[in-house]
Amino acid sequence: MNFLQQLLIALSHAELWQATLRSATPLLLAALGGVLSERSGVINIALEGMMLTGAFFAVVATLTFQSPLIAVLIAMMAGACMAYIHAIASVKFHADQIVSGIAINIFALGLTGYLLRSIYGQAGPPDMLPYERIPDIVIPGLSQIPFIGPILGEQNLITYVALLVLVSVHFLLFKTTFGLRLRSVGEYPRAADTAGINVQRMRYLAVTASGVLAGLAGAYLSIGFIGSFTENMTSGRGFIALAAMIFGKWTPLGAFAACLIFGFGDALGNQLQQTSGVPAQFLLMLPYILTIIALAGLVGRSTPPAADGVPYEVGAD
Amino acid sequence: MGVPALEETTEQEVMRASGLMARVWHLLRSILVPVAAVMVAMLIGAIIVSATGGSPIQTYYYLAIGALGNPLNISETLVAATPLALTGLSVAFAFQCGLFNIGAEGQLIMGAIAGTVVGTTLNWPAPWLIIAVLLAGALAGSVWGGIAGALKALTGANEVVTTIMLNYIAIFFSNYLLERAGPLQLEVPGQVPGTGATVSPPLHAGAVLPPLVPGGLYRVHWGIAVPLTCALIYWFILKRTTLGYEIRAVGLSPKAARYAGINVKRNMFLAMAIAGAIAGLAGIVAIQGLFPHQMFDVYNADTTGFDGIGVALLGRNTAIGTLLTAILFGGLDHGGQVMQFGAGTPSNLVSIIQALILFAISAQFVRYLRIRLPSPSRSPETPEVMPSLEKVTDTWETTASDSVINLPEDHSG
Amino acid sequence: MPGREGNVAAADIAVYMRGIRKEWPGVVANDNVNLVVARGEIHALVGENGAGKTTLMNILYGLVRPDSGAIFINGRPAHIAGPRDAIRLGIGMVHQHFMLIPVFTVGENIVLGREPGGPFGVYHAALTAEKIRELGEQYGLSVDPMAKAGDLSVGQQQRVEIIKVLYRGANILIFDEPTAVLTPQETQELFHILRGLAAQGKTIIFITHKLREVLEVSHRVTVLRRGRVAGNLITANTTQEEIARLMVGREVLLRVEKEPACPGPVVLRVQNLTAISEQGLPVVRGVSFDLHAGEILGIAGVEGNGQAELVQMLAGMRQPTSGTILLEGRDITHYNARQVRRAGIAHIPEDRRESGLILNYTVAQNLVLGRHRWPQFARYRFLLRLRAILAWARRLIQEFDIRTSGPQALARALSGGNQQKAVVARELAAEPKVLIAAQPTRGVDIGAIEFIHRRLVQQRDNGAAVLLVSAELDEIRSLSDRIAVMYEGQIMSIEPSSVSEERLGLLMAGAAGVGAGG
Repeated sequence: MNFLQQLLIALSHAELWQATLRSATPLLLAALGGVLSERSGVINIALEGMMLTGAFFAVVATLTFQSPLIAVLIAMMAGACMAYIHAIASVKFHADQIVSGIAINIFALGLTGYLLRSIYGQAGPPDMLPYERIPDIVIPGLSQIPFIGPILGEQNLITYVALLVLVSVHFLLFKTTFGLRLRSVGEYPRAADTAGINVQRMRYLAVTASGVLAGLAGAYLSIGFIGSFTENMTSGRGFIALAAMIFGKWTPLGAFAACLIFGFGDALGNQLQQTSGVPAQFLLMLPYILTIIALAGLVGRSTPPAADGVPYEVGAD
Repeated sequence: MGVPALEETTEQEVMRASGLMARVWHLLRSILVPVAAVMVAMLIGAIIVSATGGSPIQTYYYLAIGALGNPLNISETLVAATPLALTGLSVAFAFQCGLFNIGAEGQLIMGAIAGTVVGTTLNWPAPWLIIAVLLAGALAGSVWGGIAGALKALTGANEVVTTIMLNYIAIFFSNYLLERAGPLQLEVPGQVPGTGATVSPPLHAGAVLPPLVPGGLYRVHWGIAVPLTCALIYWFILKRTTLGYEIRAVGLSPKAARYAGINVKRNMFLAMAIAGAIAGLAGIVAIQGLFPHQMFDVYNADTTGFDGIGVALLGRNTAIGTLLTAILFGGLDHGGQVMQFGAGTPSNLVSIIQALILFAISAQFVRYLRIRLPSPSRSPETPEVMPSLEKVTDTWETTASDSVINLPEDHSG
Repeated sequence: MPGREGNVAAADIAVYMRGIRKEWPGVVANDNVNLVVARGEIHALVGENGAGKTTLMNILYGLVRPDSGAIFINGRPAHIAGPRDAIRLGIGMVHQHFMLIPVFTVGENIVLGREPGGPFGVYHAALTAEKIRELGEQYGLSVDPMAKAGDLSVGQQQRVEIIKVLYRGANILIFDEPTAVLTPQETQELFHILRGLAAQGKTIIFITHKLREVLEVSHRVTVLRRGRVAGNLITANTTQEEIARLMVGREVLLRVEKEPACPGPVVLRVQNLTAISEQGLPVVRGVSFDLHAGEILGIAGVEGNGQAELVQMLAGMRQPTSGTILLEGRDITHYNARQVRRAGIAHIPEDRRESGLILNYTVAQNLVLGRHRWPQFARYRFLLRLRAILAWARRLIQEFDIRTSGPQALARALSGGNQQKAVVARELAAEPKVLIAAQPTRGVDIGAIEFIHRRLVQQRDNGAAVLLVSAELDEIRSLSDRIAVMYEGQIMSIEPSSVSEERLGLLMAGAAGVGAGG
């Protein structure tokens, strides 16, 4: 069977599309976090590190408390903590946001690896039992529909949560006053400040929220999807989420579309890797190449919020 | 995205910017900041160690020994420092042009690939093959960096993101080459292709850089000359040539550079290409200098490129600073392994310390950064907050001996 | 309203600032300043650059906190810690740099921070539009709530800023240099609006350094000089000269002494020069003129009428869309900045801090900026001749009296006037055939202004052709031998230096000259 035949067979099975949504879930959550953060004017390259932190602490929490729910909450808090560090560095100390982001990534990688070995030693954490993982949900009725059923009706709980978050973030950003103010902070913080908006507080909120969402994404990865934690298990997903955000022009819906594309690439790559000798690596490269093309303006201009990355100093006092 | 300021200057500091005493004081102050950052990071590291049941004293003892405790460890530290110095210089050079080269890792990989291909294909004698391999590495790296530079120059595509993307593309490419019977994977006779180790064939003998100390005990090799030479070239270009003058001008003020007739696009491209070349060298030098002179498929987890950012920042983007910091980081890296062995503390602690150092340094950059992006930005330049007042360094002789205080020209009163 | 004597009844005082003092490192911006403004009054706050006007108003609006002093609003002591307090007290500020978010609509910009639905509610665009239309009608200011702020003209943007302030219930309105970016026509419209607001009981304070406007629209004037109150006047009883004298502290030399010009042959011939902006709109439309050696041709006009783009084309920083530029007969239309300089054209840019200098370079490095590849400064155009550069720098520092601690000092350390002198020095020392000076004395103190003006005239007397672009009409009139007026990308007319100010005003407003009324 040649590559084209294999491709067509894969495309015609619902599994591939189901896997697409599955792969897209952590990307979507992280990308939404990125959108919030950057819309407030704080560059967030640290999605990768926050996700990794969430993934790790989710596993630790599950093994300690035997409850995926608690684990998810702890993971979100862990992500929030990492984000908070980034926020303090960027907003309060006017640190270079890119350096701070990179530092978080290195820090998260080091910290999770360190704790992994300290707590669990060389053997690593025990695998998780089924009840310790975030459950997959089957929606009755929906899941019975041929072809669409498995795609939309049989997903992990977090996937549905992610879709909910998507709608919420979109509504929040573009239909509420809060969203208007958040965007103003990212576009022209001085104007927002003069209008009486607390620029610092907005940015802290947005960045911390991005940590919460990235932490959730990580939790999904470790206790919803894969079922364990290995060193550096996020392996670049945070950066793909970043790419999705840029690709989606810093909008939630755009980021979603991009995440689906990248998730598709990921799922397809996995499937083809198993069934054929076609170098899947080239498919894995795809999201990154696409992002470069998007940035080069070949898919329309990609403009972030005007004040993205520019620290803001409130008055002279 | 913008780049950290190359030097922070307060009003007072600037006032005394000339004069020998001021120079010395300025130099001390430049060193003080990085040193303080390192110490703070070590302190927090110690806290983490004791919080997880280890002994900070033991940990740091082994760390120190592992870095510089005996000639063997010193040799290993230098081995680790060599590629770090190169990626550090690479990032620093790009910084001089206002560009953030996060792509040192990808450029390093491409350099390794190109160098390995040349080194395993051509069978020339030393030193010709050494030179050819080095050139191949530098060229490949400069192409990889040049892509990001060209994109930035021509389309304004943000180099932070493009270089991160190029990193991953390079990683996947190296995976492809070395895994599952990829073109560069070593074929062992009698073994099913694709199931063996994910390594390349060894370089031909003519490409090998011999050890400094013959005998095989100390691994430090002649490749150490490469970062030293590059540092010299780095300094020379930036301080003594028009190219350096223009690159730095673009980095400090693209507007002024444009006014001065400096070709901003060309200089951005050149800066990234040169930076890429230096990083490309980092990739191949290690293979040339260290037995078994094969390219391994380790780049998924390799952090040399990222560490280079820390090296450049801590070294304040200077040639000497970068070299010294590379030795520091190299010492930490190797010392970390010894530390793990001797004190049981996981070597990840070193990453933690490096991250903390980065934090400490980054909070120093209190300059306002600008994102330079493609679209005709319809937003106004974010105006400066409360304009900083300039000192009156002169006394005018106006007819009424008044001296009017000057404020920046937004007509503020 | 104040009586003829200038005394104001206590009950009528809207704003009383007493003993205000604010110090920045090394500079006292406000030194024991008192300000009294009556309700319903239009009060002008004037002073030179750096006199402390904006600082004082920033204090009133809460953007800056004073070191000492007290503020009373409507007779009651007020503690203003930030703009929110000021807004609550009914104070609103219309900034010189508009605080409008270009990608937001007019409506969103106006209600930001006080949205109809409250901070935690849904944002109602329709409700917002309704409220804005009501306000517009009440005060005679018409704006389209749904338009994107970035698409509006400058005058329209200012109207949005005014409504913004009124929307928050401002009764005391502060305007910071409101006419700096307006055409004479728009200025008149603004004054009409101000009078209307005052008639409805609003109190207006406006910062300006344009004396004509002070006389035209204000009731009373407070003059600041070097951070202190130099005088308090009733507009009806004073003159421009008196205000000017209080502003500067001495008799002001409004005209440079110069010999009449002896223009020589045409050095620069500009024909039908056109430039199209990135948005596709023409910003320079068929500009033509001749520039002779030994003359100063001034280009007058409100900023934003194409002067900047014209200068960019002449300096090689922008490629003309069509038309030609001839330098001594040679076609240099498509020369880039480097070639233009080599050909003998020097350019003093209008923003020295961003274009003219690299602040973190040393004075010496800045003094060769743009000519760093010339043979005397670089061997083989690659290796810098550091010693030659230093010598050159020392020479210029001495000749142009640039006050600095040495050629190795950072340009950042120089005062504004000295920075400008450095730029001027660099360009003049190259002995150019053509000198383009754009806003050469903006933000510069009087001493440096006189120096620069003298050098420009000297350049002309030595045979150079000087093109002077300035938004300061006084500077144009005192220096130029001929005056061209630009309006909406065209040269409306080229007049002799004896032209009347009225005619200039008409030309600048597009009401006279070529294509007038269109």
